[in-house]
Amino acid sequence: MTTEASPTEGGAPRRIAYATNIYVGVVAAAGVCLTAAAIRLDGIVIDATFGVLLLLALLSWLLGSVETDGGRTQVSLTGIVMLAAMALVGPAGAGIVGTLLGPFDNGRAPLRARIFNSGMFATMGVVGGAAYIAAGGRPGGPWPPGTWEIALQIGIPVLVADIVQFAVNMVLVAIVVRLAAGVSMRTQVGQIVRSSGSAQIGYGVIAFIMVVLWGPAGLGSASVFLIFPPLLAAQWAYRQYAEERKGHDRALHVLVAAVEAKAPHLAGHSTRVAELSASMAEHLGLRPQTVADARVAGMLHDLGLTSLPTGLVRSTGVIGGRAISSYPARGVALLRGLSFLSGALDAIAHHRDAVAPRGTGDELGVEALIVGLADEYDLLSEVGTPDGVLIPKDEALALLRRTPAGREDLIRALEHALSLRAEAAT
Amino acid sequence: MTSVLPATHLLRAWTVLAVGAIAVVSSVYGVGSMLLPLLVTHRLTVAVFVVAIVAGELLRLPMPSGRAAAPLASASALALVFLSRIDGEPTFDVPAGFVVLVVLAGLLVPAAVRGVEGKVVGLEAVAARLVGVAVAAWLAREFAPSTRSLWSLGVDGAVSPWLVAMGMVAVAGVGIAVELVLSAAVRSERQRTPWLAALRDEFGEAAPLTFAVVASGPMVALMAPALGLLSLPVALFPLAITYVAVDRYMQNRVTYRQTIATLSHLTEHGGYTPAGHAERVADLSVRTGRVLGMSDRDLRDLEYAALLHDLGQISLIEPIPGGATMLAAPSDQRDIADEGASIIRHAEGLERVADYVEAQTTPYRLVRELGEEVPVASRIIKVANAFDDLTGGRDDPGEILAANERIHLGLGYEYDPEVVEALAVATADTTVGRVGEPETATR
Repeated sequence: MTTEASPTEGGAPRRIAYATNIYVGVVAAAGVCLTAAAIRLDGIVIDATFGVLLLLALLSWLLGSVETDGGRTQVSLTGIVMLAAMALVGPAGAGIVGTLLGPFDNGRAPLRARIFNSGMFATMGVVGGAAYIAAGGRPGGPWPPGTWEIALQIGIPVLVADIVQFAVNMVLVAIVVRLAAGVSMRTQVGQIVRSSGSAQIGYGVIAFIMVVLWGPAGLGSASVFLIFPPLLAAQWAYRQYAEERKGHDRALHVLVAAVEAKAPHLAGHSTRVAELSASMAEHLGLRPQTVADARVAGMLHDLGLTSLPTGLVRSTGVIGGRAISSYPARGVALLRGLSFLSGALDAIAHHRDAVAPRGTGDELGVEALIVGLADEYDLLSEVGTPDGVLIPKDEALALLRRTPAGREDLIRALEHALSLRAEAAT
Repeated sequence: MTSVLPATHLLRAWTVLAVGAIAVVSSVYGVGSMLLPLLVTHRLTVAVFVVAIVAGELLRLPMPSGRAAAPLASASALALVFLSRIDGEPTFDVPAGFVVLVVLAGLLVPAAVRGVEGKVVGLEAVAARLVGVAVAAWLAREFAPSTRSLWSLGVDGAVSPWLVAMGMVAVAGVGIAVELVLSAAVRSERQRTPWLAALRDEFGEAAPLTFAVVASGPMVALMAPALGLLSLPVALFPLAITYVAVDRYMQNRVTYRQTIATLSHLTEHGGYTPAGHAERVADLSVRTGRVLGMSDRDLRDLEYAALLHDLGQISLIEPIPGGATMLAAPSDQRDIADEGASIIRHAEGLERVADYVEAQTTPYRLVRELGEEVPVASRIIKVANAFDDLTGGRDDPGEILAANERIHLGLGYEYDPEVVEALAVATADTTVGRVGEPETATR
């Protein structure tokens, strides 16, 4: 499964903790009861097939899953094993596989989350298995002959079971997150669908292949031997990709280091502006892409300084080379070729205009206003003048109110970002 | 792309082409007059597989070493090797030669498209693939040590499906290995990289992807008795996921490199270094590294370090005249290298790149006399940087000769003789060590 709970521990009021604990207990009990009921009604055959599925469950704990692009899960074997269990050993077997898979699916989860996941996976297995039968599937055979019969009697039931177990997964997780962290269920469901919805369809197709090879094609457990290399390759490729992404994000820090080598008095400035800008953009409720653009624009807003003579940058270092008007355009010229930064260029080009003494700021994008405010605030109150004069927070905010970017909502976002930072520091 | 290598220098490429031609001719001979009846009987199967191979070939993935992987086409070709019973279609009971000819049809269409577009046709790659398929098809369909071929055992289910599946995977593995060995031979000759290094790249660069291809081909064939021709798109689905992931990984590598290149532009925009110097040094360093047989991972760090070798100049108060560090005082050179390395160390994961930049100024004498550890990458950058400072990026043969002579004066004292030799190979012929195959080579 792609989604499991890892409820936030600590800091929550006792009442919420009780409600969460009760809910976790209910889910765990539901998992056990449903599995027991399925064994009673449908029966369970402990045979080689069941054994192989348990082995696969073990294997999928060991391999884990890969996440890229901010939590988007790419390849998790658990989802495939669960679906295959529904089609090969029926609801009772899938419930047992789920009970065993749940606690180990997330290697570092606290005990409470493990208990919850065990119950949730068992429920998903039993309910998904029942959906498989309801959609016309016959777990464990007899297997239909011919292309169309297979598509109708295995393909469609696997798809239905896939959707049903994903829905159960989403609802149960959304409730626990609502209880423990107070996130609305709609937000949570939306987030789960975005992060693992497409992967979930993929698990359905792969489980379908495995069942067809296992049953109608007569391969039995040999199908595992064929289907796993491509899956491991996919995991490997996504791992490489995630690693590469991380490396690339870190390489941006070299650009910041270059600015700081040029202008040592700005050490730490770019990072602070990046954090403030992102936090302001989040508080204003902007889209995730805009938040990311504001962060990277804040980080690289001074890059143009690097192409100026060192002597000039250091001597006119009065508040970060404010006197040198060409550096934002120079920064844009340096970064223009980088497609992933295209959303940040406007803010880099115009962040000085946002706090220019004259001007309205009407024609400026919100990212430019945010970065301009964060930059100017940091220059006034953290970087200071060469003789070390720092302007206190309230005075700095008063100064900023008089600039084009000094809109009340933006100033409030800045104050919020500052209080968040102060909170994090203590 | 100025020089055309004389045909005699490409002995291995011609050999591979010849072996490919032999495979095709013997296939035509083996199929003989059965060709037409077989095509009529299996028209739908043949059409589906040719389309799949064509599509897979058009979706090739360029790998960093310069080879183009076509996992979906390879897997489709291997599936055809083992294909037997197909639900809704006649059993694919054909001689091995017929399989080779169908795969050939699928490979020639994209090759012709590439030719029309003016891209590299890559006939050697087609030949290598065909020979691999021919070997696998012969092993599966004709080779019968105990009177039964693997293919015939698979049809009637006389032995355990485990054995049949494992046999198919083993044969597919042999076919792929033959292809990789042949294409490594061709590539090592063209790039002047050692043969073992080319072989290591072919096998190691995307080993999981290769394993996936080896398993996916048999998977299609084993599914076909139940799911018919639909098994081809369905069974290739997991491989397609891998394809997408590898593609994204490769694209991200390109953006990563762009970011590093941006860093090299900082000193150029500031007028500290001449325009294009860093890119030229990087290009020459990588090609020299390839001649020396460096691995993909090392080449990448070498490329980044070469792009960033002058980054330390960014905090100089006064630019060096012309930006040529080769002519600067040794202590200044060291300061610049140290400053550059300390800037790069701000990023986790680039430690090796920083080490290479830091050690780039160490004269080779210290390696020889005092046993100082200087990475090969740093020695390459030192020589490539000197070469570009001397030629100023001009590719006039006279200037190249003069620069090589000047570098030779510092041989053993300033520069590593082995690196200088490799650099001379790379500068004598602009196709050496290049990843994009020269268009002239395939004609």
